[in-house]
Amino acid sequence: MNENDYAKGLWNPYVAGVALGLVLLLTFYLMGTGLGASGAVSRTAAVVGHAVAPQAVEQNGYLGGYFKGGKNPLIDWMVFEVLGVFIGGLVASLTGGRMKLTVAKGPRVSSGQRLAMALGGGVIVGIGARFALGCTSGQGLSGGATLALGSWVFMMAVFATAFIFAIVIRREWV
Amino acid sequence: MTGPLYLFDVFGFTTSLVVAVAMGFLFGFVLERAGFGDARTIVSIFYFRDMRVLRVMFSAIVTAMVGLIALSRLGLFDYSVLVEYSLLPTYLWPQLVGGVLIGMGFTLGGYCPGTSVVAITSGRVDALVFLAGMVAGVWVFAAGFPLWGAFYKSSDLGRITLWQVFGLPLEVVAAAMALMALAAFFLAGLGEKWAPYDKAGK
Repeated sequence: MNENDYAKGLWNPYVAGVALGLVLLLTFYLMGTGLGASGAVSRTAAVVGHAVAPQAVEQNGYLGGYFKGGKNPLIDWMVFEVLGVFIGGLVASLTGGRMKLTVAKGPRVSSGQRLAMALGGGVIVGIGARFALGCTSGQGLSGGATLALGSWVFMMAVFATAFIFAIVIRREWV
Repeated sequence: MTGPLYLFDVFGFTTSLVVAVAMGFLFGFVLERAGFGDARTIVSIFYFRDMRVLRVMFSAIVTAMVGLIALSRLGLFDYSVLVEYSLLPTYLWPQLVGGVLIGMGFTLGGYCPGTSVVAITSGRVDALVFLAGMVAGVWVFAAGFPLWGAFYKSSDLGRITLWQVFGLPLEVVAAAMALMALAAFFLAGLGEKWAPYDKAGK
């Protein structure tokens, strides 16, 4: 395994894992719920969509619920949490010397191809996270640590699929 | 003081938003330090190169899982409140389907929602595009909601834990999970030695 510049100076994975677990534990102690991410994406999509087509979004069976009773979908715990993730990530990348304007891609694809795949992957994750009621943070970490049944089913499905699908698209990464 | 503090009304909604930013800050900082600010570090788990995603996630889950049990034993955390009021509910089939989709999108896109955020703040343009894709994905889901809304709400099993399913004490299942994590760490090391893509590819 060779050290790449983008992977220099990272914490030992077990140290990072325990630190992450302690942040998660503290969140459970304070809030009763854990950390998440995709909920904020969903609310952002609702607000952006609402700015363009307010009626269609308010009448939508899924997104409409965010606006019931004149509520602002962005006044929400997870939206504020993800705001914190932005700040924490920025401080960490700057102090860690890993901030670099670039496209993260495998050696055999062009930047354009990689961006197209990132877009496609994003769309699929966006849809999937709605069906799953969460993502690798909310379901995986938070649901996993509290031993929720659905979260473990979800995680097994994510990683089993990912390892198999990685073979299919190996040209993107290796 | 016995937690979860917010559910016991120790502080209100406005304070909870401050807590949200603070916990998010720590979350984002650790995710970046763990190496999740670049898609290459993340997907290398699927090619048996650097399986740190597995190590970080599993050790985080075990740390929080054991921590919650320990706090509960010390009288500092009411585990029954968690199980009854705030545990993530299970919708079996939708979660399985969502998991399969995320597994594909994760590999293709290189990120999951949380890691895309720390990659954006690390200057990764692909992560920004991935985030835009996720927003579009939510719109696709919303547009098709009349079609799959019924499935989305199906197989609702409520707030149910693995230990309730197996009819075992929480501590027993937690110990089994910890052992599973150790086995996974061991297998991850073997996988990196195996490194099938790096030998066959050359």
